[in-house]
Amino acid sequence: MLINKDSCIDCGICVSRCPVSAIKEDTTEGIQIDLEVCLECGVCKRWNICPTESFYQQELVYPRTVRHLMSDVLTIAPESGISGRGTEEMKTNEVTGRFKPGFIGIAIEMGRPGIGTRLGDVEKIAQAVISEGVEFEKDNPITTMMADTKTGKFKDELLNERCLSAIIEFGIVEEKAPNVLKIIQDVSTQIETVFSLCIASKARPDGTIPHVKVVEDMGLWISPNGKHNLGLGKPVYKFD
Amino acid sequence: MTHTLHRVGNLENLDGDYVFLCMPSKDINHVGSGPKLRRFFEIALKHNPVKIGDARLGNEYHQGGIDKILENVEDRAVIQAVFNNKEAVVAMMKDLKEEDLGLSVVLSGLGDHVRECCSKADLKVHTVNQSLGRWGKTELLPPQHLLEIATMCGHAMVAVNFIQEMIDDVKKGRKTAEQAAEEMFKPCMCGIFNTDRAAKLITAIVDSEK
Repeated sequence: MLINKDSCIDCGICVSRCPVSAIKEDTTEGIQIDLEVCLECGVCKRWNICPTESFYQQELVYPRTVRHLMSDVLTIAPESGISGRGTEEMKTNEVTGRFKPGFIGIAIEMGRPGIGTRLGDVEKIAQAVISEGVEFEKDNPITTMMADTKTGKFKDELLNERCLSAIIEFGIVEEKAPNVLKIIQDVSTQIETVFSLCIASKARPDGTIPHVKVVEDMGLWISPNGKHNLGLGKPVYKFD
Repeated sequence: MTHTLHRVGNLENLDGDYVFLCMPSKDINHVGSGPKLRRFFEIALKHNPVKIGDARLGNEYHQGGIDKILENVEDRAVIQAVFNNKEAVVAMMKDLKEEDLGLSVVLSGLGDHVRECCSKADLKVHTVNQSLGRWGKTELLPPQHLLEIATMCGHAMVAVNFIQEMIDDVKKGRKTAEQAAEEMFKPCMCGIFNTDRAAKLITAIVDSEK
């Protein structure tokens, strides 16, 4: 995103609204966007707060286009066909059968909440968890950013790009979950950003949730709130 | 797994924060889903939601009003409705069950409360997703009281600096907590930012500093 300095009146009303503080007030040059920090999320322009409509979207060239794809919530990821940075994951599990009994879904939401991440840090985590033989979700946009999905290696030109969030998604058999979580715990000390970690599984017929015991046995914190698929989608997937 | 999952808070202030999400599944039931999604919105509006929104096309401010949200919803949309009480959640669940839209519905909220509501509506939870918290360089994160507000937009479109600015405006009497919450909602394109909860959180922050 850029600011038309011919029309900008340097009122500064936009400064606080940037999610990553990329809009700065310079004492000599007035309001400026730091393009290294800007993630092309579009919040400043979309808000329509500028009294002179001075924000404009410059033409983005790859690899910078990745910032926009992964940070602007209204872009549609071609892989998943939906907005947002993830996939349908557990939201449609009753019709897709993606998370079957005995399987656990894990998502590592790099850069969330609100810090952002370099794709080099995403690669670091992806390469760590691949040792357990995980298969990255093919519909997730970050999988197409990898040069090799078998190793988790990203395309070199993307490693220094930044985005508001990037989600590493995969499913694993329940028995492998403790090892994978331990690996994630270990590698979390080697990155320059934060991530929010998610775990999902299909409820058993008695209502218990398989992943809860896995997490409790490891002594990890688990949220009292969560997402609950109500099983209303059709046609219903036939789980064996 | 994802934008409604990591809402930070305690048992007290998460009570009154329920987000319904409705979506079709690609290549399974997405063709012709637009009218069904619109029906979901109509059902939600019967039960006085705090907010509704469409992650594909944006919230009421971006689209130009609630009517536009209903008018514009299309196949493959991921749509949401936010509620602040269990009674409305149960009523919504019962209507959705009866309507039988055939689309996937996910409810985010405190697990015990969701199960209680499901029991009253004769529904069973199919799959559950929970947060294991925030990892890595957590020292980069804002303090808890700001995170509780900021994480209600899971895509982080509501800047922490702006939240602080709005809180300061309320402290100085320039805005009510409700007006501040409404301003914060505007960049949350999915419409999942719970303005009712935000206003309560802002009031608590302001009161604690008096």
